[in-house]
Amino acid sequence: MMDWISIPLVGFPLVASLALLAFVGNASPAARAKVGPTIRFLSLVISIAMLALTTAMFFGQLDGDTMLDWNTMSFGSFNFEFRYMWIEMLGIHWSVGMDALSFPMVWLTTFLLPITIVATWNEKNAAVYFPLLLMMGGALIGVFVALDLFMFYVFWELTLIPMFFLILKWGGKDRKYASQKFFIYTFTASVVMLLGLVTMYFMQPENLTYAGDWTGRTFDIPTLISHSQAANAEGNWFLGESMQKVLFVMLMIGFLVKLPSVPFHTWLPDAHVQAPTGGSMLLAGVMLKMGAYGMFRLPLALFPHAAHHFQLYLLLFGMVSLVWGAIVCLGQTNLKKMVAYSSVSHMGVILIGIATMQPLGWAAALFMMFAHGIISPMLFAVCGAFKHHYHSMEIGAMRGMAKHSPWLATSMMFAWMASLGLPLLAGFVAELMMFLALWHFLAAEGWSVLWMVGPALVLALTAAYYLWSMQRTIFEGGEKTQPPESLHGAPVPDIADSEKLAMIIMAVFTILFGVMPWIALDMMNGWTVGFFNSLLIPILGGA
Amino acid sequence: MQQTMQPFDEGFVTALAPELILVVGLFTLMIAPNMGDGKFRLPMTQIRLPYLFGGRRGKLDSDPRLPGLFASFFFVVAFFTALLSFVNGMTTTAIVTEDGTTLLKVDEFSRIFELIFYGALALASIASINRMPATSRNDRSNAGLYNNRRQVDFYILLITCGLGMSVVALAQDLFLLFIGLELASFSTYVLVSFMKESKEGTEAGMKYFIVGSVASGVGLYGLSLLYTWSGSLQFEALHNAFIESGMEPLPLVALSMLLVGFGFKVSAAPFHFAAPDAYAGATSPVAGVLATASKAMGVVGLLRILIIVASPEATDGAAVWLVALGVLAAVTMTWGNLAALGSTNPKRMLAYSSVAHAGYMLAAITAIGALNWEPANITESKNAALAVVTALVFHLVVLVCFKLGAFLVLSLLESEQGGHTLESLGGLAKRDPMLAVTMFIFMMSLAGVPPLSGFVSKLLVVMGIVKAALIESSVNGSISFGDLHWVWWLALLMVINSAISVFYYLRVGLVMFFHEPEEGRQGPLPKGRSVRFAIVACLVMTVFFGVGANVLISLCESAANALIGAW
Repeated sequence: MMDWISIPLVGFPLVASLALLAFVGNASPAARAKVGPTIRFLSLVISIAMLALTTAMFFGQLDGDTMLDWNTMSFGSFNFEFRYMWIEMLGIHWSVGMDALSFPMVWLTTFLLPITIVATWNEKNAAVYFPLLLMMGGALIGVFVALDLFMFYVFWELTLIPMFFLILKWGGKDRKYASQKFFIYTFTASVVMLLGLVTMYFMQPENLTYAGDWTGRTFDIPTLISHSQAANAEGNWFLGESMQKVLFVMLMIGFLVKLPSVPFHTWLPDAHVQAPTGGSMLLAGVMLKMGAYGMFRLPLALFPHAAHHFQLYLLLFGMVSLVWGAIVCLGQTNLKKMVAYSSVSHMGVILIGIATMQPLGWAAALFMMFAHGIISPMLFAVCGAFKHHYHSMEIGAMRGMAKHSPWLATSMMFAWMASLGLPLLAGFVAELMMFLALWHFLAAEGWSVLWMVGPALVLALTAAYYLWSMQRTIFEGGEKTQPPESLHGAPVPDIADSEKLAMIIMAVFTILFGVMPWIALDMMNGWTVGFFNSLLIPILGGA
Repeated sequence: MQQTMQPFDEGFVTALAPELILVVGLFTLMIAPNMGDGKFRLPMTQIRLPYLFGGRRGKLDSDPRLPGLFASFFFVVAFFTALLSFVNGMTTTAIVTEDGTTLLKVDEFSRIFELIFYGALALASIASINRMPATSRNDRSNAGLYNNRRQVDFYILLITCGLGMSVVALAQDLFLLFIGLELASFSTYVLVSFMKESKEGTEAGMKYFIVGSVASGVGLYGLSLLYTWSGSLQFEALHNAFIESGMEPLPLVALSMLLVGFGFKVSAAPFHFAAPDAYAGATSPVAGVLATASKAMGVVGLLRILIIVASPEATDGAAVWLVALGVLAAVTMTWGNLAALGSTNPKRMLAYSSVAHAGYMLAAITAIGALNWEPANITESKNAALAVVTALVFHLVVLVCFKLGAFLVLSLLESEQGGHTLESLGGLAKRDPMLAVTMFIFMMSLAGVPPLSGFVSKLLVVMGIVKAALIESSVNGSISFGDLHWVWWLALLMVINSAISVFYYLRVGLVMFFHEPEEGRQGPLPKGRSVRFAIVACLVMTVFFGVGANVLISLCESAANALIGAW
């Protein structure tokens, strides 16, 4: 039995990073520089060990007979469930488990950690930087495996601290503004969410399983979900209609800001542009997905009635994010900002997928989370390499990159193509599924097909801004180009070997999940169907 | 176990051991530094009897650090004695006079507050050991003692402050409570102005004294009105009188006057004006005591007045003070946070943040007032009240860890004449990385970021308020959103306020990590081993009570039970 395995998965990177940070804490800069490479190597080893662990989980190597097959797991069952009493009086447990919703995200996190470390191998002040990445990873995994609301919230907020420092310490010129904005924005949203959680805590009926000794209420997510399911089956709104609506909105505020969806997205471009490459990679790769993950885990599962009620609003948010993100991209001259807004646009895809309230749309959202989690780090790795080597983020700064640094040019081309949804690459699968689901939704609701025009237009816009920026950066000028002025006549370097390695790995996995999406899609599909059957069918009345 | 005894009966000493230890400490401090080789010559003879006072002082007692060490020792011993009474199972002891007036009551509630007081004072006194200007330890003349007089006075005042506070916690009679309050207050007035060399210190002490004594005067007048009305100042008698005729104008006027008096102590707006000046002018450890122990004392007073005397239970349905306190809470937390946003002196910033925290606590007390005491609801209401008081006590305990800790970090800066501007924190991360990280952890805990204890305390307070607001739902099944009691909106205001507060707490972090050190502050910080020890103790507790909150919560619950169980 290895049900305890998620404890080291979460705890080990956290403890290791704290130990490493304490170790270098009071060291002089010189001493820190000396131990930097060792710490970097240690961090890499730890992160690769974690990746090995989650990969073994995927292939079912860890738990022998007791582990459920990821692809056929029913909704509501979990692998590696583990429970330990934390605060008895309030019913707070260290309660973890993974299902087909969380496992891809956990794997993605462990996959991105070593890649981020390798891609930013030469980052300055290594003795502090790499432990912070590890801490980030531990906290992120904590969010994904938590099955207890308290624990979920703790890790949710814990992710802010390493990211705050990553932006603040290694960021660009306006890093102070960006990191504060990032912290305050997301913190504000999540305290509203917290109040929603606490209100829900006391609204629930007394003495469910794992309830606190003293409050008689539980923080246990599966218990709450099964209770909500039972209420749905009887045709009631769990917690009552008006309450459910208010709580749904309160929780969604927390998640929509994190995602981010358009009116709440302004922290993202700032944070991304100022964040160091490693920070951006983890931020775009996993941290944004926390928002979508949270929606599936809590408001959708707990308040399906309210979700159905607010379906059109969600769709609206998604549409606006999709279109607005793409339009703003067109106007960007800063490469990284463009990529950041393209993230907003892609998050719109996820939101539309969720808003369709169909298994297909949800699977599209889940797969988009996963695919974007591989592609967007590559985008940011390219941006980081660009910045690192050309000392500028302006799109026009470098022309004719194909001649001067072919490796970077190739990586950029690949990443850009993957992000704009080229068939056979991972992003395409998700977008296609989203369009199918949206089509199906429109047909079922009897709406005009004209509603498809917006999203379809976005495809064109996306192609436009990506191709345009590529054309100006990679090809323009042909043989006659000069190296960018910001290099002051120095020879144009190509990317380092470590960066090449990271790019290749990300590219390989982008292709892998583009050609064989079922590796991840099968389990997502099974989960969304189960989710739909047990939560939404009773509301939609059969079907 | 329960027992009742008259003063100086058998067992009196064991029951009041922590307080008596402090009394012993008080006398030790008065005597010990005076010890010397003074001799007394018997008249008409040449026989000189050693007299031990005066003359040349001994090697040990001429050490200027001696009073600090003594005071710290006695505080720590008193702290652990108080803690011990929890370990062995609490013996609830009521001290009653011959004619049946209950004077003091030792129970979980008073003991846990004593732990707060002694803990804070012990840390402050440990942190102050090397802070006072002192003459050389080799000066063993009596004049040396006079020159070092302030060393001794400072710690004597700390001890009297501790004694006064414990009387407040123990008192079962409003008059006794008031005496304790004044003893503690007068000690703090002097402690605040202890840095008489600086203009700020004198000004701060003056302001604090004047505003404080006016507030006390108003409170005392309220007290006298209560006495005129009911003929007794016993909590029980007052409680019963309130049940009978609490809605008469006289007790209501008295109540509002008492609210002013205690509102000043917890620095609730609009009675908080002296607080920022006092905190900024006092030495940091003293300011830390004001923000933690002194505030806890005010909360004890408020709880006794609002929950025991004018209890919501007594006035059928919502408490009389409900709306007044709700408004006070909303104004206090918002005012404190907005003012803290604009302050550039970290001590003033912490003072305003302490005003904001007072607002959160008032909001929690308001929630108790909102409870419904109809027979059907009484069990649930009692549970909710219990939850709120537990949250309050928890909050006050952990406040000692991180708020005092933050002040102690500033105290380390003060010993190089810094700490009065945010800029003097600049570059702390370069000069002393671990200290900067520690300060950052304190700030995050103040802001309520998990998994630190500040988060748990804020969560408990929010939970308490929400629970009280939702009492209808647990009685009648589900309710709709419109039926929520309005105190729920106080919880919303509270979380929004804590989001605002992140801004100024983060700013401290930014300055520490990103600003260059000020001119003349590039080098490493002063050593200050004792301060650092206290800071580390605070840090450990801040993290421990966050991750392992279980123990402390159950302790606080037993305290809350002792207060409310009497209902």
